[in-house]
Amino acid sequence: MPVKQKEPLIMHPRPSSIVAALYTLRDLDTDVVILHGPPGCSFKHARLLEEDGMRVVTTSLDESGFVFGGHDALVEVLEKVIKRFNPRRIGIVGTCASMIIGEELHEAVMEVQPDVPVIEVEVHAGYRDNTKGVIITLESALASGIISEAEFERQKHLLKEATEVEKRHGAASKEYLEPSRGDLKFKVAKRLIELIEQGKKGLNILNAKKETAFMFADINLAVDQIAKKLGAGSNIINMANLDENLGLPKNRRNAREIKEDLKGAGMDIHHITGGLDEYPVAGNFANEIIREKYSDFDFAVITGVPHALPMDHIKNMELFSITNGPRQVIPLKEMGHQHVAVEIDLHPKTLGINHIVESEFGATLRELARDA
Amino acid sequence: MPKQIAIYGKGGIGKSSTASNVAAACADEGHRVTIIGCDPKSDSSITLLRGRRIPTIMDLMRQGADINEEDIVFEGYKGVKCVEIGGPEPGIGCAGRGIIVAISLLKKISTAIEDTDLVIYDVPGDIVCGGFVAPVKKGLVNEAYVLTSGEYMPLYAANNICKGLARLEMTLNGVICNSRGAPNEEKIVSEFAKEIGSSLIAFIPKDNLVQICEREGFSVIEKAPDSIIAGVYRRLARGIMANNDGKIPVPLDDKRLRELTRI
Ligand SMILES: Nc1ncnc2c1ncn2[C@@H]1O[C@H](COP(=O)(O)OP(=O)(O)OP(=O)(O)O)[C@@H](O)[C@H]1O
Ligand code: SF4
Ligand SMILES: [Mg+2]
Repeated sequence: MPVKQKEPLIMHPRPSSIVAALYTLRDLDTDVVILHGPPGCSFKHARLLEEDGMRVVTTSLDESGFVFGGHDALVEVLEKVIKRFNPRRIGIVGTCASMIIGEELHEAVMEVQPDVPVIEVEVHAGYRDNTKGVIITLESALASGIISEAEFERQKHLLKEATEVEKRHGAASKEYLEPSRGDLKFKVAKRLIELIEQGKKGLNILNAKKETAFMFADINLAVDQIAKKLGAGSNIINMANLDENLGLPKNRRNAREIKEDLKGAGMDIHHITGGLDEYPVAGNFANEIIREKYSDFDFAVITGVPHALPMDHIKNMELFSITNGPRQVIPLKEMGHQHVAVEIDLHPKTLGINHIVESEFGATLRELARDA
Repeated sequence: MPKQIAIYGKGGIGKSSTASNVAAACADEGHRVTIIGCDPKSDSSITLLRGRRIPTIMDLMRQGADINEEDIVFEGYKGVKCVEIGGPEPGIGCAGRGIIVAISLLKKISTAIEDTDLVIYDVPGDIVCGGFVAPVKKGLVNEAYVLTSGEYMPLYAANNICKGLARLEMTLNGVICNSRGAPNEEKIVSEFAKEIGSSLIAFIPKDNLVQICEREGFSVIEKAPDSIIAGVYRRLARGIMANNDGKIPVPLDDKRLRELTRI
């Protein structure tokens, strides 16, 4: 029997499968999610998600809940949730604690018999890749008829790719990754404006994960605006993963909103590379376009998930990456990106909004360009 | 759908030997049988495999192996499919979680619990946590049997199990008496069965042959097919295959239980 090569240990903390399940439920337009587990589990994200209009409550399992089981607590909370929030769609998400003691989420649902759909997600935080939490959620959504088989297969493929991207050059690429604040935004912005002023040709690529695009797009917009201001607008080619016909309901909505904002600000997107959930594969598409048309360009600005863009045809360009992961700086530098800037704490600022929000790097660019 | 049964009873009362002899007897009659050992000590299928110990699902998972059906499902006496879930040493980790994980893997990669006539889940004596009833909760068991002697403690355990079954709304399809030679045993267990709303479906005498065969790695069905006790197991096996008379048990209170054992 083939023994799998055991995957190497990774020591730095990484996104949790439980949290991934929560975000997926939000993308599926779930109104209320019950976390079946300890009161503090996934607190920070549970709180943030409320900004997006999804409520998260907990069954608050305590020591005696661990020992005697939490069925009654789950029934009670489910009943209360129905009464208090009158939701149209409910999610129940497992945690390490409830899964270890063998809680059956379905039993509580059978007992309460809600007349709205309930997505039951038997997940804990002990999976190596947090994408597992997304897959389990989607499996459950598929089983309850909320998404189609085709959408499920599409998502599964994307998640597999996302996991691979992280293994190749992302958070799962090394045993330990030192967090870093990246290069000084001021210096990076200055160099970028210099290149634009010299009339160099540049790619301006948004390859962002879901709602993070609300802030990353601001950077691409700033680049486009500055190039125009400096009379170099025609030297810049814009690409973005903003296809509004792909992905779960929220992702489509967000793509449309961002596109409208960009259009309103006078920015043309020359190439749409995929949907907002296609960041793991949209880079491959961009790679093809670059090979065909732009391989002789001088520089590229890549925002969002820059490490998902293959180096094949950009390796001779001067690369400006803007990420929101402090642990992404070292891998990007190792890939050959000369300039890496980090938008610290970007994600929380992109929840609960439907318009582009200002980024630090975008603001830095605009400020510098004022006197350019 | 196959007949899916679990045999419950006090630790050491004889669940595993009854399960493997019933499995062997059913196989003799041409039924396709699967036995799933849910006990971390993984001793459910040994006597169907001539004393051989098979790798357990949890051991393979721990090694990080890519697990296929043929790594965990082994054919024993007359084609009985044997699976051992395995688990940690006593006092370490969480055996219950192991059962949950192993059962869902088994369901995914093997047809052994679907493409068969009889599935027997051999569970450890005490249902100490949620994991041990995972097969029931996941809807993989549709008949439960309780094994007991006529002594107070095994009956007490049997009665407790009935409480659990009632709570899970699981039907009890019969009580089996595995004799320990207590006075009036058959009558006591028969009365107990009646009072909880079930019936005594077999009385297995205490017979050293069970242990002699076991020591050599055999069921009595295989090693001593013409013995009286083999005949008892065969009758029980036929009774189980024909049984579709399950009721949710009504447990007794402790006072009544004590009275019963004094008959
Ligand atoms: N009818 C019988 N006559 C004589 N010995 C028996 C009989 N039934 C079982 N035994 C013996 O009793 C011992 C305990 O049996 P077994 O292991 O089957 O019990 P168990 O209920 O499965 O225990 P556990 O709860 O530990 O899993 C074994 O050595 C077995 O051979
Ligand atoms: S260990 Fe698991 S259950 Fe406990 S808080 Fe962390 S993620 Fe939640
Ligand atoms: Mg046993």
